[in-house]
Amino acid sequence: MQMSLLTHLLGPRSAFDGGLYLPDRKASLARRPIQTLHPEGPLHVPLTVRRDLPTEPVVRPGDRVVLGQALSRAANDQAVGVHAPCAGTIEALKRVWTVEDGFLPGAILSPDGSNERTRQHQGWDNESIIVQLAENGVVCDTPRAPLHVVMREAISAGVTDLIVNAMETEPYLTADLRTLVEFPGRMIDTTCELADALGVSRAILAVPFRHRRVVRRLQSEAAGRYVEIVALSNPYPQCHPVMLLKAVLDREVAPGASIFTEDAIVLPMATVRRASDALLSDLPTTHALMTVAGDIVEHAGTYRVPIGTRLSDLAKRVGLVAPAAQVIYGGPLTGSAFGYEEAVVTPDSKALLLFGRADISRPVPCVRCGWCVEDCPVGIDPPALMRLETESVCSDQKRTSLRACIECGLCSHVCPSRLPLSETIVRNRIRFTGGDSATEGGTRH
Amino acid sequence: MTTEASWLLSPAALRGEAPHRRGVSTHRHILRTWIAAAGVVGLVGCALFGIDALRVIIVTLLFTFGVDLMFVVTMRRASGGRLSRTFLIGVLAGLTLPADVDWHVAAICGTVAATVGNVIFGGWLHPALVGRVFVQFLFWEKLSLAGATVAVGPVLSAAHLFMGDLNQAAKVEHYEGWMETTPPSSKDALLLTPPLWSLRRFAQGHIPADGDLQFEPLLRDALPPWIDALIGAVPGGIGETSTLSIIIVGFFLIYRGYLRWQLPVAVLVSAFVAASILPIESGGNYVWFPVFAVEGGRAVGLAYVLYHLTAGQLMLGAFLLAGDVVSSPMRAHGQVVYGIGIGVLTIFMRLYGVLECECYWAILIMNVFVGTIDRFTSRRVLGTAPVDEAVPA
Repeated sequence: MQMSLLTHLLGPRSAFDGGLYLPDRKASLARRPIQTLHPEGPLHVPLTVRRDLPTEPVVRPGDRVVLGQALSRAANDQAVGVHAPCAGTIEALKRVWTVEDGFLPGAILSPDGSNERTRQHQGWDNESIIVQLAENGVVCDTPRAPLHVVMREAISAGVTDLIVNAMETEPYLTADLRTLVEFPGRMIDTTCELADALGVSRAILAVPFRHRRVVRRLQSEAAGRYVEIVALSNPYPQCHPVMLLKAVLDREVAPGASIFTEDAIVLPMATVRRASDALLSDLPTTHALMTVAGDIVEHAGTYRVPIGTRLSDLAKRVGLVAPAAQVIYGGPLTGSAFGYEEAVVTPDSKALLLFGRADISRPVPCVRCGWCVEDCPVGIDPPALMRLETESVCSDQKRTSLRACIECGLCSHVCPSRLPLSETIVRNRIRFTGGDSATEGGTRH
Repeated sequence: MTTEASWLLSPAALRGEAPHRRGVSTHRHILRTWIAAAGVVGLVGCALFGIDALRVIIVTLLFTFGVDLMFVVTMRRASGGRLSRTFLIGVLAGLTLPADVDWHVAAICGTVAATVGNVIFGGWLHPALVGRVFVQFLFWEKLSLAGATVAVGPVLSAAHLFMGDLNQAAKVEHYEGWMETTPPSSKDALLLTPPLWSLRRFAQGHIPADGDLQFEPLLRDALPPWIDALIGAVPGGIGETSTLSIIIVGFFLIYRGYLRWQLPVAVLVSAFVAASILPIESGGNYVWFPVFAVEGGRAVGLAYVLYHLTAGQLMLGAFLLAGDVVSSPMRAHGQVVYGIGIGVLTIFMRLYGVLECECYWAILIMNVFVGTIDRFTSRRVLGTAPVDEAVPA
């Protein structure tokens, strides 16, 4: 990568209009290595990864399973099975609660403390990469679907570019950064394998320029490979696929269209990490790599957590200095707040944030400061779209704007009047366009 | 250590939609910072114009705030931040008035700012300026400079800051600059000529040329030293004159992010350009490009333009009045257009117009176009054609 001296000192410019450099609050978190939490109590393992993907349980209460053994089997080719995150005994088959999907069929697994695991394949076998991904239960975060399904769709859409998204510009989140620090070579290898399987002509790994040593390490690992390392400036929401496509390839996804229409596929780093276990070590997805952080967390850091661990148990294990007033599953700007004790870790969990004080204040009338308009990454007018709530008709132009929203939440974040801008825009989109986010192509949720 | 009790305070408080963490600047921070900025300028005004200035600001503030409070209470239109904004409007309206006005002028200014500006127009015309231009018409004889053969106004001398009596003012024969001149004994204040009045008379050709020298009589005889205009020791509104303090608090607002730098820069640059180009009348013909005038080896044209920037209401308008969040365009691009309009209109009205408070008029005129400016500077939505290429449906 050729850089002028000025670029070398100051970093690249922001690649899109709008966006905001948020205080990232990762400094102390990101220095701690990934720690594996071993299960202590019974695990409540969900037996499917999404509510509409059917699976059949292959274990019965009383069965003994070992780490990595299949607990459920895909009932059709859109679904993937789930594997045991530890050795132990199946206590019961009953529903478990997840934050994203609500109740899912699940299994209660009592760990017995042994390290016994399924026998690994030695070396490569003859199966295709896509079959290996499906058998090992690898899921993709955005779009939220099994990775083999996403890749099949991408191949039939004829994508030509693969972008691996390691930007992670939301505050607090550290899982992708720690992965790049600890396993740079594995990530490069896996990106090459996935690029091979997709048949793309370019494979790009996008990383924040801020972390220069990580960038240099990745460049040396990628020397001679066909993965390009692209170091980008990281205003939020550079981590969103639409903004990443704009920044890396200067292509703009039409409002409401799938990202595949621009001949590109954007895979999150977390997905590549799960695929690396499946492809390079033939290990199924049994753990989620999660950031546990927040102002009341005693041992904040990046943890490898077995699937099925209850989030309340996880919070207690990392230590809380005070009871939580706000618990967020996912990033602080895009995650979901919840308060149910029974919520469990799923394969695509990325963070648990606990705060001693909820950031709630009463909205006051708009003062027309224009901060939301300047900071919006896609250039829509949030106050105008919010006013649609009290109207019964919506112009075509505003409908396009509603579809273009990428739900980054930046407008609500910066609003000095504390107006619920992004929340209302999401509601208005469902009301006026009758559908999900267009730019996510129905592939995210 | 880990608390053994419940890990949650109460599950009921945990609902809520993303984003869960909000930015740190709320409307309270913005309004407090603006009020503090206006207060600093008012304090400098009190130093230069004495206790009378404080009286005018307090009366204006009381009437603006009281009338708006009455409206809020009787009509039950309370909304968060409304009264803080009214407070800011009251302070700003006080800053635009001269210190030697009667208390009823300040009271009417505040009342009109609250009723007409804030309640009837809802703030889209700058309420403080609505009140100010209203009293300018109502008390024309008192506030206008145009009627007088020699307009003068009082400024406290350097030895009597804050505590001097503005009514104890006297003219001095040989004015050498505010720092150097002391008023006659038993007087606290100096009676000086406002630079704005001299500039307006000069533009209309009322200051006769001295032989070949056109600008020299203006700069030598009619205007105070430029340093006076910078520190504010010239007659005028309480907050209008102290250029240096306005620039300092303006920079603070810009640093805090509560004022976009593009706006004052656009106002001042466009005013500079307009004053450089627009012709002045001299001996029956018009002299274009006055900025390039050189007389006796001195760049008198440039000095003339710099006096234009520091004279009158332009500085206060550029930093504290035009940047009002409610009545200015939403985007920085729009604010540039808005600022250029204000700068050019101000200089144009100053040179050829009959209205006084030309900068306030320019801001009010441009307030009318804010909706249009916003529409023409709207952003392109990502993934769609540019606005001008879009096919109308």
